This record gives sequence, structure tokens and C-alpha cells, in this order.
Amino acid sequence: MKLRQCLLAATSAVAVAGTAMADDTYKIGVMSAQSGYLAPYDGPAYAGFQFCIDEINAAGGLNGKLPVELIVEDTRSDIAVGVQVVQEMLDQGAKFIVSSADADPTIAAAQITLPDGVPTMTFAGTAPVLTQVGEHVFGSYPADNQQGAVLATYARDQGFERVWLVKSPDSAYTLGGPEYFGTAFESLGGKVLGESLYSLNQPDFSAIVTTIAAAEPKPDVIVTWAWEPDFPAFIRALRGAGIDTQVMGGDVLDTPTVRGLGEVVDGVVHTSGGFPDEGSQYADFIDRFKSATGVTPDNNYYVNGCDIAYMIEKAVDIAATTDPRAVAAAMASIENGDGIMSDYTFKGTDRMPLRDVVVARITGGGQKEFILRSAADPAILPAP
Amino acid sequence: MNAPLATLPGRIRAANLAQTLVCLAVLTVVVFGLVLLFGRTGERIAVLLSVNVAAVVALGVFCGNTGIVSFGHGAFMLLGAYTSGILTMSASLQRTALPQLPNFLAGHELSLFAATPVVALAGLALAAASGSAIARLAGASATIATLGLLIILHSLAVGAREITRGSQTFYGITRITDVMPIFAVAVCFILIARFYRESRWGLMARAVRDDAAAAEALGINPRQTRCFAWCLSGTMAALAGALYGHMLGAFSPASFYLSLVFAQVAMLIVGGMASVSGAVTGVAAVTLLQDGVRRLEGGLTILGYEMPAVFGLTTVSLGIAILLIIWLRPAGLVGGRELGPSADARIFANFGTPNEVAAEAKALGGNVLRTKGLSKSFAGVHAVSDAALSAPPGEVTGLIGPNGAGKSTLVNLLTRAYDADSGSAEFGEADLLNARTDGIAKLGVARTFQNLRLFDELTVYQNVLVSAIAAGHGDRDAASIALRELSAFELGDLASQRAAALPYGARKRLEIARAMAQDPGIILLDEPAAGMNPSETEDLANRLIRVVEERGTGMLLIDHDLRFVNRLSTRIVVMNRGAVIAEGTPEAIRADPKVIEAYVGRGRTATQVQHPETKAAEEVVS
Repeated sequence: MKLRQCLLAATSAVAVAGTAMADDTYKIGVMSAQSGYLAPYDGPAYAGFQFCIDEINAAGGLNGKLPVELIVEDTRSDIAVGVQVVQEMLDQGAKFIVSSADADPTIAAAQITLPDGVPTMTFAGTAPVLTQVGEHVFGSYPADNQQGAVLATYARDQGFERVWLVKSPDSAYTLGGPEYFGTAFESLGGKVLGESLYSLNQPDFSAIVTTIAAAEPKPDVIVTWAWEPDFPAFIRALRGAGIDTQVMGGDVLDTPTVRGLGEVVDGVVHTSGGFPDEGSQYADFIDRFKSATGVTPDNNYYVNGCDIAYMIEKAVDIAATTDPRAVAAAMASIENGDGIMSDYTFKGTDRMPLRDVVVARITGGGQKEFILRSAADPAILPAP
Repeated sequence: MNAPLATLPGRIRAANLAQTLVCLAVLTVVVFGLVLLFGRTGERIAVLLSVNVAAVVALGVFCGNTGIVSFGHGAFMLLGAYTSGILTMSASLQRTALPQLPNFLAGHELSLFAATPVVALAGLALAAASGSAIARLAGASATIATLGLLIILHSLAVGAREITRGSQTFYGITRITDVMPIFAVAVCFILIARFYRESRWGLMARAVRDDAAAAEALGINPRQTRCFAWCLSGTMAALAGALYGHMLGAFSPASFYLSLVFAQVAMLIVGGMASVSGAVTGVAAVTLLQDGVRRLEGGLTILGYEMPAVFGLTTVSLGIAILLIIWLRPAGLVGGRELGPSADARIFANFGTPNEVAAEAKALGGNVLRTKGLSKSFAGVHAVSDAALSAPPGEVTGLIGPNGAGKSTLVNLLTRAYDADSGSAEFGEADLLNARTDGIAKLGVARTFQNLRLFDELTVYQNVLVSAIAAGHGDRDAASIALRELSAFELGDLASQRAAALPYGARKRLEIARAMAQDPGIILLDEPAAGMNPSETEDLANRLIRVVEERGTGMLLIDHDLRFVNRLSTRIVVMNRGAVIAEGTPEAIRADPKVIEAYVGRGRTATQVQHPETKAAEEVVS
């Protein structure tokens, strides 16, 4: 009983502290999973987002006049907690919701923000289906179908004709990415030779590798959207079996751990949301972030989080009001918005932004090298 | 101070009701406390808490009553959530979100209420299909099997893309945001779980949980009772899943996978797995702890001091809470019993009309236990070979022999704990060797065990009651029979104690009382006096003699205390190395050189030397 009293006292103290805040701010609710499967994405995304909101506030707030107040809640990657915190954020007057980097929590949140049309943007969810809930839902990262289309175009340009897809039905990302690639690849005249299914956290890929080795004719490129620890297990098994076919993958391979795998990943090509070229805005962001926090942003989620902060600023500027529906409509009208990771266009899309996709190659020395930057060709963009 | 024993059944009913009310009161206070103290925020927490109460109480119906931890309830929740989601979804949304939905599922647009029976049936169907397999198992293997069920259903849901959208988010489900309907479901679930727990089915399931072999010897079918608990629990979990789905509004198969299941099992363990109030308390404690800590995580200002944001506190605090609970209170916050007054509480002292105490039953007449040529070998060792003996009704037949002579094996053959290799065993007309293990009791053969097998977590009264229930009596009759046996074995004062808490002598008496509650034609007593002091042994002997004289029950008595056996038995059978070596009156047995040889060793009997060791042995035999 005592414990409960203490808890109630503590929670009521926080509630009082919360309501004491001033009202002349723009409240943004942030769902950020600090533990669980979303933490590797939500963590950096939130760090980048907060860094740039701090920059904005230091300059007087959104467009120099409207300070931002963040309501940040840890969802522990638990969808039920996500639902609860989004409701609480709306109760506390949030005018904008930034949701976790996956379709499930984003769609769940978007259904709650639907009645009031509160704009809801995912940190880095890339499943194109997530904006179908309503006109107030936005992606921020280049969607899986855009990444698939750009990668397929590059693969065809290299003269590859036969692809083998390795996908897992366990998540929309690992399933959708290769399928979008396959669709775009075929519309460019390539052929999907075959496909293999794996389970998330599958320890052994030898059966899949054997199937690929036995395929006749041989595929000239293998595409998978597998992430860790599946991708390392797969690529080791593949190279261990002496198969040196070109492997291509999704933006999830853009991590120091994958690059650190050494020889086996030498030459692996993957998509990415951006590339910090020397002298670019992105490179400048990395320097600013590093000098302010001491942490080097080693993936794109940091800079994408920062871009979200400036997207919100721009939408509020265009809307010239904080009314949720007006801000959502303003966001949807942005064309060629200036982003740090890359420029973005919502106009004419189903609110998954059109952004440049980078194709990069991993070198055996643990580095990545830039190959190309391109927007997806609408003619071959697979439907979500 | 002690209320009369005859009012015990009435007082237990009153206590059960009071405990149910306490359980409901805990939920009500927490839910409405949250709403009153924190308004809408409190209501959000109360909604999640009530859904979790429904789910964890459903889980507890199986885990608490069978002692098997289940990870499979996520499967039922998944099934319930998708079923209810599809049936209640608006047709227009269904066409865009689920374009390939099979026709028989499409376009129903049921109300939540109308979908409920379908969801319940779906849960029951899955439970019935999986129950026959899972109910065969116990302990860790059963837990692994439930995990298998979860993995299978998860894979099916991921694979059935036309129906579930596969691993993609399933959305557009009518949301329930109001606390009242969810609270009402939680209340109903608590009532159902409490009713089941105290019902004959719940009691039998808990008896199986505490000791499956002993329950089987009473005629309880462990598989059936586990399967019943599984089906009820699974049906409830499917409904809880539907509720969870309607609370979320959007989910995917991963929403019902390991993390959800682990969280719910953790709540159950924190509160106490064995009781309904444990489930409710566990959910309330964990939810309040996590929500309280979550509010501290984001950083706050208290009295001008700014605290930094520290994320991950909720997970850490839950981990610490679980560790502390397991360390300090292994049975959970509530422990093994329901919260609330027990039947011995003072408020019930003048409560309840006295239950009638059953009259001494006459044992069903005149059956003789007979074995012929009974043999059993274990890996070439002849534990029992060609054993022939008989035990008539209304008398005590002693069965003695040195350690390893095969006495207990013989009892285990007669009660079908082991399969005999050859031979026959009949009780009256009934062929024991063709009966099922749980069918022996119905043929009139009861037993006790060499190494005391009580239902430790049940009360003394419940131990005897469940035996009478298993014998086929209705609740009222069973209560009056239980009262009879409690007085016959002087256990009345201990009636409300957990069996595990009894002193040794009382435990021994309880095991016999439990067997006698079935009004057996014969009772096989495997070392009933082992470990007793002389006065306890004397007392037990008097009681057994009374049972035989007044009820006409036959007895096959195994014991090493030969004075005790001699005093009770009219005939004694002696076994050695698996074979019956002598049979006759106690006097004849005492004089039988084969018997003395078996106990003392070859060559000693003829010379009759006054060796101290031999003398001692003779004293024992006489």
C-alpha cells in the first residue's frame, strides 16, 4: 500500500508540474522507444530531432517566434504503451505527433490523431502503406518502394539481368523491400529468378545458400532487406560457400557493425537516405552535432530526425497558424523543401516524401563509398 | 474460539464470496482511484490496466490451477483480436485494407457485442484443438508446448496475408476508449475465474497440480482437468485479445508475440500465480509502477530542482521489482491464497448453518482382492515374480518383507501405476490389470503412498473434499463426507490449514482420511506408520481398527513396524525378493523358518544362537 501511495504522490506531482507550463508554445508529442526493437532507430532519430529543436528554440522558436515544447515518452517499443502515450500527449495539447520508426506504432497513433487531424509523422518508418490511414499521416524517410526502384535501376544499369530475392515475411520491411525491388527490376526488363524465405533471427542460412548455389542459370545479383543479425549470418554463409555473386540490400545495412564485418561485405551495395559529402549540409550537421554532444552521428537517423524538426517549422510557417489540419495541409503542399539529409517533396505524393536515394558501396576496410544519388523514376515506382 | 466443524462448508462459501469481493474491490479502487485522481490521464491508464487484468486473469485460470506456465496465450489473444477486428470492421475500409479477404469473412460489420460469441467460439475451437496435446504434458514440457502453439499461430498469421495483411499493420479497427465496458469485462472475468477456482473442476485441477499421481489414484483424470482449464482459459484469452485489439486499433502479429506474453507472465508472477487476486494485484502493481516511473523518465522539475531525462527506468524498475519479489516473496505479492478473510476468520465464527455430517458408510460388500502369478521386472531385475495373495474384506491383511522385497511394487501394480508383465489381479469381479490408472478408484480400491503424496497447497478439508468429489458425489454430499472423515481422523481443528503446513503425524492421518472419503472396498496402506512415534502409531492403529470394524473395509497393510502389523492383521503375507514366501496367521508367520531366514539370514535359525543381532531380529519379528 505504501508503495502505491508514493507512486500516486509522485505521479500527481508530475501532473501538476505539467499543467503549470505556459500555453504560448507549440507542443510536439514524441513517441520514442528507448528500449526494445525500435530503440536502435528511435534513439538516434530522437537525439537528432531534439538537437535541432534546441537549435530552433535557441533562435526564438519556430520561425523565430513560437517556442517548441516537447512531450517525450518512452514507449519501450510496446504498441499498447504507444497508444496510451499518444492519447496523453493529445490530452496535454500536443499539436503535432512524431511517432516511432515503424508502421505498427505509427498507424496505431495515426488512428488516434485522426479525429482532430493532428499531423503525425514517423521518425523513419519506410513502409509506404503507413500513410493510408488518413491525410494527416506523413513519412519522413524515402519509402521502401523508392529505395527498391533506385536500387533496381542501378542494378539494371550495371547489366544485371537475373535477381534472387531473399526475404522474410516476419516484417513489412524485410518482405516489402525485396518485392519492390523485384517489381521495379522486372519493369526494367530484368528477371526474378527465384526467392528464398527466412525467419527473423534465423541462425543458419546454409539451406538458402545451397538453393542459390544450385540455381541454374545463376543469378547475377542477390537482393535482401535483411538486417542484423540475419544479414551478417547470411553473408558469411554465402561467401563461405564460395558464392561471390553481387549482393545488394536496403538502407538498414548502413551501419558501422555491418561495415565492420570485413572481407565478406566488401563490395556489398546498399541504399541509404543520404551521404555526408565533404562540404555538404549533412557534413556540417555532423560537425555541429559532434561538437555539441561529443557523439558522432554514424547513421542517417540522426540527420533525418533533425530534418523532421525543420519540416515542422516550414509547415507551420506556410500554414501561418498552429491549427492541426492547416499544418497538415501545409506539410502536404511542400515541394522541393530544403533538407539536410536530402531535399524532400510531399506535393503530389501520398505523403511518403519523394527524396533522393543514395546508393553506396561497402569497402573491405570498413568504409563506404558513394556511388550515386537519385530520385525514384515515377514510371517504375512500384505501388505500395 | 473454534467455530463448529459442521459449519465449515458454509463458512468456506462465505469466505469465498468475501475473497471475490476483495478481489473486485482491489480492481475497483485502483481503476476509479486513477480516474478520480488523474482525470483523463488516469482513465487512459485504467483502460490499459483493465484490459491487462482481463488477459492476466484469463492466463491465471490455466497457470494458477494447473501450475503450468503458459506462453501460448498470446496465440488466443491474436486469434481473438483478428477475428473481432475483421468481423466488426466497416465494409468500405475492409475493401481497401483487406482487398483479398475471403468472402465468408467479408462485410459482416457486426457490433462488438455481436462479435463476442464468435470470438469466444474461435478461442474455444483453438483451445480444444490444442488442448488434447498440451493437457498430456506437465511442467516444463507443457510450457514449451504452449510456446510452440504461440509460434505456430504467429507464423500462420504472418502467412495468411489475405486475412491478416501478414506482418503489415492490421488497422481500421473500431476503438474502445471508454473505461467502463472494459472494466465490466474485467469484473466478469474475475467472477468466472473465482467461480471456476472454487468449483469442483478447479479443485480437481489444483489437486492434479499438486500431485498428479495421487489425484489419479483418487480417480481424477489429469488430462481432462487440465484440458478443461485450458479450454476455459483459452476462450477467455481470446476475448481478452479482442479487447486488447479494440483498445489498440492497429496491430500486427508481432503485437501478440513474446514481449506481450512475457509481460503478462511477469505480472502474474509478481502478483502470485496461484490466485485470482494475485493476478489482479500483479497487474495493478506492475502498471502503477511502470506508469509512475514513466512519468519520471522524461525529466521533471520538483521544487525548482531540474531532474534530467533518464530513459529505460521503467524496464529497469520492473526488472528490479521482479527480482525483489522472487527473492522476498517467491509465491508473489499475494502468495498462494486469495486475499481476504479465510473461513476461520472471526467474522464468520457464527456464520453458516451446520452441514450434515455423513453417516459411516458400509464398505461395498464383500469383495476379495486376489492376485495370481503377478510378475514385474525392471531391466532384468524381478521386482515381483509370480506373486499370489488374497486380501479379504473386513480384515487387515499384513504384507511384510525386507527392504526391496517388492511390496510397494506390488501395490503399484494393483493400482496400475506400473504395467504388470504377467499374471492377474482382481477385486471381486473386476479385473484391475485392465483398468486405467484413474479407473482403479472407481472399482473400490484406494491407496496411500510410501512417500506421502498430499495436495500440499490445498487445505486439509479440500484434500478430503476433492477425494469425495472424485468419487462422484455432489457438492453437498461430498462436503458431508469430508466432514465425517475429518472427525474420524481428528483433523477438524486443522481443517483450514494448508496440507503442507501440517505436522508429520497429521499428514499421515490426512492421507488415510483422503483415501477413506471414497468409501473404498479395500485400502492399500503403504507404510502408514513410517516415521511416527510410538504413541502416534498406537493412535493410528486404534483408528484403523475402528474403520475395519465399523465399515467393513478391507485393508492391505504394508509396514516395517512389525508390532504394528501384528496387532492389526488377522493374516500376514511375507514377500522376499519379489516372491511370496509365506502366508498365514501372525503366529504361524512368527514360527516360519523361511521368514526368519529372510529377515536374519541363512544358517541362524537352526542353531538358535543367542547372538545379540539375532535376538534383536527375533524381537522385531515377534
